[in-house]
Amino acid sequence: MTFKLRKLSKARTTSSKSNEDEGAKTEKNEPLSDSLAQNVEAVKQKTGNSADISIREITLNDQAHTKAAVVFVEGIVDQQAIDDFLIHSLINDDDLKKNPADNILETIAEKVVALGELTRVHNHSELFQALFNGETVVLIEGFSEGVSTDTKGGESRSVDEPPTEISLRGPREGFTESIRTNTSLVRRRIKNEKLWVKSITLGKVTNTDVEIMYIDGLAESDIVQEVENRLNRINTDSILESGYIEELIEDQTATTFPTIAHSERPDVVTGNLLEGKIAIFIDGTPFVLMVPAVFVQFFQSVDDYYSRFDIATSIRLLRIIIFITSLFAPAVYVAATTFHQEMIPTQLLIVLAAQREAAPLPAVVEAILMEIIFEVLREAGVRMPKAVGQTISIVGALVIGQAAVQAGIVSPAMVIVVAVTAIASFATPSYNIAIAARLIRFVNMIAAATFGFYGIILTFIVLLIHLCSLRSFGVPYMAPLAPFDASGAGDTIIRMPWWKVKKRPALTVDGNVMRQGDNQKPSPPTDRTMK
Amino acid sequence: MEKANIYAGQLFVLMFIFELGSALLIPLGIEAKQDVWLAIFFGMLGGLLLFFVHLRLHLYYPDKTPPEFVKELLGKFFGTVVACIYTVYFLYIAARVLRDFGEMLVTFAYNETPLFIVNALFLLTVVYGVYKGIEVIARTGELLFVILYALAIAGFVLVVVSGLIDFSYLQPVLEDGFKPVLQTVFTETWYVPFGEIIVFTMIYPYVKNKKAMKKAGIIAILLSGVNLIVTMSINIAVLGVELTARTQFPLLNTIHSIQIAEFLERLDVFFMIALIIGGFIKISLFFYAGVISVSVICNVKNKSKLVYPIGIVVLFISLTQASSYAEHMYEGITIVPLYMHLPLQVIVPVFLLIVAFIKNRHKKEQSL
Repeated sequence: MTFKLRKLSKARTTSSKSNEDEGAKTEKNEPLSDSLAQNVEAVKQKTGNSADISIREITLNDQAHTKAAVVFVEGIVDQQAIDDFLIHSLINDDDLKKNPADNILETIAEKVVALGELTRVHNHSELFQALFNGETVVLIEGFSEGVSTDTKGGESRSVDEPPTEISLRGPREGFTESIRTNTSLVRRRIKNEKLWVKSITLGKVTNTDVEIMYIDGLAESDIVQEVENRLNRINTDSILESGYIEELIEDQTATTFPTIAHSERPDVVTGNLLEGKIAIFIDGTPFVLMVPAVFVQFFQSVDDYYSRFDIATSIRLLRIIIFITSLFAPAVYVAATTFHQEMIPTQLLIVLAAQREAAPLPAVVEAILMEIIFEVLREAGVRMPKAVGQTISIVGALVIGQAAVQAGIVSPAMVIVVAVTAIASFATPSYNIAIAARLIRFVNMIAAATFGFYGIILTFIVLLIHLCSLRSFGVPYMAPLAPFDASGAGDTIIRMPWWKVKKRPALTVDGNVMRQGDNQKPSPPTDRTMK
Repeated sequence: MEKANIYAGQLFVLMFIFELGSALLIPLGIEAKQDVWLAIFFGMLGGLLLFFVHLRLHLYYPDKTPPEFVKELLGKFFGTVVACIYTVYFLYIAARVLRDFGEMLVTFAYNETPLFIVNALFLLTVVYGVYKGIEVIARTGELLFVILYALAIAGFVLVVVSGLIDFSYLQPVLEDGFKPVLQTVFTETWYVPFGEIIVFTMIYPYVKNKKAMKKAGIIAILLSGVNLIVTMSINIAVLGVELTARTQFPLLNTIHSIQIAEFLERLDVFFMIALIIGGFIKISLFFYAGVISVSVICNVKNKSKLVYPIGIVVLFISLTQASSYAEHMYEGITIVPLYMHLPLQVIVPVFLLIVAFIKNRHKKEQSL
């Protein structure tokens, strides 16, 4: 029965899709007409006379009185450029004034317009595509084609320090909402003709620009092809943020772990491109996606690469410990206090037992309750205006922390455990893996409450199996640890110094693995006579 | 056989954890008393011998699993019979090991919990792993290997630092001559854990690089042998022969003896992690071999469909194969080695190797 239903619904979706496609074809692909008035009327009618569509009608030459219309969308164009280099030229150009009507379009295209890019539009679909991309279209009486010039502009946020990925050392630039600015930030860092960008438009209604960027010769061509295929497969009405695409192209949907990385920092994206990964830029969001992503990547922060390798390694190890703590700390506390009291050192056990004696709730209820309260506090704090934020911290710290303990509802040790977990879950550099750990933490607590350490260890093994079974664009998620790959292992939970990292990670890179020459280890002359 | 590819390093890791598996926890070869290290050593050499036999047999049919090639060797009928016997053997041993671990957990930590629940949870984990396939088990094994070894080193250091080791327990060497040692080898240590590598004949076809595979196998057997020798020697050096022989899990008692700074004591959880990791890999591999055998014999393309039903069968066998732990142990010591391990680990593979040798020589003559 279910099978039949599924088949039916499948048939329905395909049929509706083809209907829409046909409708779109007949509606949009009308050619432009010879009559300027008709064309202008069509633009007005199709855009519903929208207030931000600006149509300026001018007369081009003196004798024939050829009429023309300059059409653009206010706000997404560079108004100054249109005034100075387009309308001004069209009205004042001497060649144009004397020109007869029949080849006026050629003259405009070749001599008059003083702007960079210039294309011809022939039908309504091209016309609107150009208009909404910030181009200005000049329509001329007697011609069934128009001239479109690149006048993209308008307000956009300037390049700023990214608020979600702060580093102590390193560039302060972050991506903006404009896709061209974003690609340029990467282009400036990799001055090489091998940096390729491919463009695709997604979203039937929003027509969002999406671009994939990779370094030809480094990125595995199969993976590039796979990314293109998965993007082309997308058939939806809108792409508003990178999260839409992430969910539509990931390998495994039944997991809490992110299999696609994202970043706001051009230097992170650059670093990933150099390891053969592929970046997906989406217009309208500062978050750039990077595939394939592996598990250890989410524990690496840019600071690691800019500070000394020994410091970076110890901080990375600390992060792994923190991550494991945030997963297991409350579960271990619950298991130890309810099942395995003998494992706690005697003195500590006495202290804990004294606290637990007064507590009315079982340890697991206490733990889950406190964890949920913490999650509520965090969620409330995220979207709270700054002025009100203090209230939350006072309520959190005083009312829930201290008052709950004084009232004897929760034991002080539990508050400590929850606080440690809370801090730990914020110390993971990547938010999306920290939140995965948060969810799994509750599963661990329940396992610990029912089967003690046995339950925790079994859920841990299940977690490992799950992580090992994930893939991101064909690359095993736990690589280069499992399967172990020596060429990539230098930059995982440890970071080898740059002069040791001779190879690029072989799993993502297409053959060309050598990263640097031999003997990169600095060896200053032994005698210090050098001045 | 599923479409998978594992490399020699992963095979090494799997074999290593597999060998340690349950052997690390039980009083292995304690009949040889303080000469248990010799018993394990000779068992290891025997294991190497068997490994070469299995390997040679495998190399006649490098891309085929045993149930496929026994049909070619013995004909369709006898081949299927042998394959069926092995399938039952693999699943039975999976159930036995599961029972071992369930009993251990019930004895030392969960006295109140029914065996069924403990076994069912463990099997659920195993089923999940096997459902995901051999590649995933191998990758998980790599991560577990690191954890296991870190624990082993930490435990070793702690035992040494605690000053518990008394080497005089290991003397005198060969008090009663070679006889009890050899007797232990031929009744126990040869088969468990070393002979059990017969199960890897189901895994070898996934490894493409046969030369590296041979090396990985040899190193895995030697390293796990050395580790077992060290562990059992430490157990005896800490507890003495008498106590080691009497206790069910000498390693647990050894870990119990650790007391440092009145803080690091009762590290049961160390033992439990090692136990579950070893048990997981061991049961997974036997179970996996059983599932693949069934899928090959019955021509089932999608082996993951078989995992859940066969999982229930294994769980059922693990509970019903013995009515008590004593009966389970009695079967394990007297019946299984003689009537199952010896013929299926040693006699049949050697016989198959001889048949393969003759058949293939014959083939060569034909082609000439």
